[in-house]
Amino acid sequence: MLSRSAESLYWMARYLERAENTARLINATQQLLLDLPQGASFGWKALTRIVGLDKLFQQNYAEPDEGSVVDFLMASQRNPGSIQSCIRFARENCRTMRDVLPRDLWECVNSIYLASRRYSHAGLGRKDRRQMLEEMIYDRHSVSGVLANCMSHDVAYQFIGLGEHIERADMTTRILDIHSAILLPNQAGVDAEMGLIWVGVLNSLSGLQMYRRHAATAGSGDGGITSDRVLRYLVADRHFPRSVVYCLDAIETHLAELPHNMDPLRALRPARRRTDRVSTEALRLSNQHEFLDAVQGDLAHVHDAIAREYFHLHQREVAADALA
Amino acid sequence: MKFGTERYRPLDVFDELVDSQGEPRPAASALCRYLSTLDAGEMRQRRAAIDAAIVTMGISFTTYSDGENIDRAWPFDPIPRVMPESEWRHIDRGLRQRLTALNLFIDDLYNAQRIVRDGVFPGELLASSRNFRKQCRGISPPFGVWANICGTDLVRDVDGTVYVLEDNLRVPSGVSYMLENRMLMKSAFPDLFSACRILPVDSYTAALYDMMAALSPRVNERPVIVLLTPGIFNSAYFEHSYLAQQTGAQLVQGTDLLVGSDDVVYMKTIAGLRRVDVIYRRIDDDFLDPDVFRSDSALGVPGLMRAWAKGNVAIANAPGAGVADDKVVYTFVPKIIKYYLDQDPILPNVPSYLCMDEKDRGYVLANLDKLVVKPANESGGYGLLIGPKSTQAERDECAARVRADPRSYMAQPTLQLSTAPTWDGDDIAPRHLDMRPFVLQSHGMYVTTGGLTRVALREGSLVVNSSQGGGSKDTWIVGEPY
Repeated sequence: MLSRSAESLYWMARYLERAENTARLINATQQLLLDLPQGASFGWKALTRIVGLDKLFQQNYAEPDEGSVVDFLMASQRNPGSIQSCIRFARENCRTMRDVLPRDLWECVNSIYLASRRYSHAGLGRKDRRQMLEEMIYDRHSVSGVLANCMSHDVAYQFIGLGEHIERADMTTRILDIHSAILLPNQAGVDAEMGLIWVGVLNSLSGLQMYRRHAATAGSGDGGITSDRVLRYLVADRHFPRSVVYCLDAIETHLAELPHNMDPLRALRPARRRTDRVSTEALRLSNQHEFLDAVQGDLAHVHDAIAREYFHLHQREVAADALA
Repeated sequence: MKFGTERYRPLDVFDELVDSQGEPRPAASALCRYLSTLDAGEMRQRRAAIDAAIVTMGISFTTYSDGENIDRAWPFDPIPRVMPESEWRHIDRGLRQRLTALNLFIDDLYNAQRIVRDGVFPGELLASSRNFRKQCRGISPPFGVWANICGTDLVRDVDGTVYVLEDNLRVPSGVSYMLENRMLMKSAFPDLFSACRILPVDSYTAALYDMMAALSPRVNERPVIVLLTPGIFNSAYFEHSYLAQQTGAQLVQGTDLLVGSDDVVYMKTIAGLRRVDVIYRRIDDDFLDPDVFRSDSALGVPGLMRAWAKGNVAIANAPGAGVADDKVVYTFVPKIIKYYLDQDPILPNVPSYLCMDEKDRGYVLANLDKLVVKPANESGGYGLLIGPKSTQAERDECAARVRADPRSYMAQPTLQLSTAPTWDGDDIAPRHLDMRPFVLQSHGMYVTTGGLTRVALREGSLVVNSSQGGGSKDTWIVGEPY
């Protein structure tokens, strides 16, 4: 596999995953708004901070209101992380890799792209928006289906898997951070009101049903949903495919199939240590943001190690004389 | 829509589907019967389904002038062009003969130059040829074959004669559209395929793989084959990735390859460097190797020519093969066939006037309004003068160019290109077309069944190039019984 191809596949997967999770983030936020208790307010601006793009947002928009933030996250050409930009980049990477990808995959990605061209024209009313984003997530499932069932699980597949799971782990931590965007009127009884918010978070990650089956404990009077348990579930559950630990397991499995995997595997260890045994302390509301931030840092190191090992050959000038 | 004398009115030229009375030709009878059962509404529906499939499949080509919006959907006409198998067999034989001779010619030019010494091909033509590469002298690639992949353009004149218009021996494109057009037709008109015996076209990619594998310098080992593309902004990028996908070749850009001090070509992979045996290059000679040709080329690979000359890697088409892809050399092809094979050409050339010849030049300059004037070395229809459709200013400008550099121009009478019924959005109307079969050659020879039919979609237009408003049709070679 060419270094350049590996990098394109990796980024194709990351972009698709980012587009999907940004859609989930917007939908989760919209749900939350409807359930917000009296007097609570929601800082739309915080959403741009959650995805790490608050500076870029400020440069391009005057008011951090719903319309601006949603436009920025969904359709803005000036935001390389907007859903539309991600899909465009994913499609470009897919297009350059058509020789190694199943033909059906290109057709799926291309149709997501064609649909995304409507995002900026939709007037972005809440109802249309929700439907478009749900369609996007749904179409994204076809991509996963084609990859799982129509593609050799060869080296190319491993790079797609790496990109997908690194991005997913990262975005899960960001979506978990959404509670920090909500300003409650009083700090008393916080947990009860946060319950609604965690339901929204779980829903946005298609995780509520699985959480109820596997993680909720009965008899606590809160419907089994508390912030520390939800957080623990979405960070450390071994079986839910959007949890951080599940993604780290997947990254390890994909790396195991690749040559020269020593350094990337080593780079995985800090993330593993942090998430395998999540301390109760880390789960306290006041510490969550810091904890999630640290996990994002760990994931960035994993990315760096992968890039160093597999992608850099084509970026470096290889001295021809070093051969033979 | 009634198909036949009632509605479809062929022009005063040869029509591929109907005769001069408007009656279906025998090989096209099943198709014409079928079309007569469709009305304009149904035709529009099928057209819309095909357009949707084209967009979803992402079949596209790129034009340089489109700026940012570089991807354009491939304009495809849903009415196929039909040719009887018996006629096709004749053309197939003619192409095999022609390409055998052309490859002997190229190999001779770069080695003994017998044809020049024997006075059949003028030495001064060689000396002034832009596509003759001195760097290739003394090299003989595997099987003595230089043009491994050729696209030869055929046109039919008013009396029904099929002529060779030109041979594309450098980096001919279009074969992926031939294959995709068939796929589109099968999905849009499945019922048609059971109504007559249409010969399949899809063995091409397997033949392409076999041809390339036979070139590998490492016998008894699974060859590593790459397709070298200039990249995503090239007009034929869709085809590059399509062919790589279909043949299992690795799609590479120049920066993915390097030549080691052992004069072997390597590609940069996630597991380090890997040896490359065969390069199907889709970039021009000029850009192949900045050490030897254009030094400012970022598309090629420094040292590639060195590795090729040593026989450590095969390049298809071989560097320098374009010497025979020259509209002046073209006029010598009948003599070339006679010289090397001692045969008369099976397929005729279009009668041609060489501007370097004083008498011919005088005729050309006096008859610019009747002739097509072509530059010897350009492809894609650029720099062409179509006399009967030109303005006085265009003709004056052309005359000045011819006088300044006669070697670079040749002229041909304006052919009355044949037509076929074509859907124009509301109705079926005659449009001019040509045909590009593809010929593969290494250890053996392979000719596509039919080829790519290109059609000038604008009414009255004779220019079929996709970069200039042309489209394409599926090409049916139909066997008896009709």
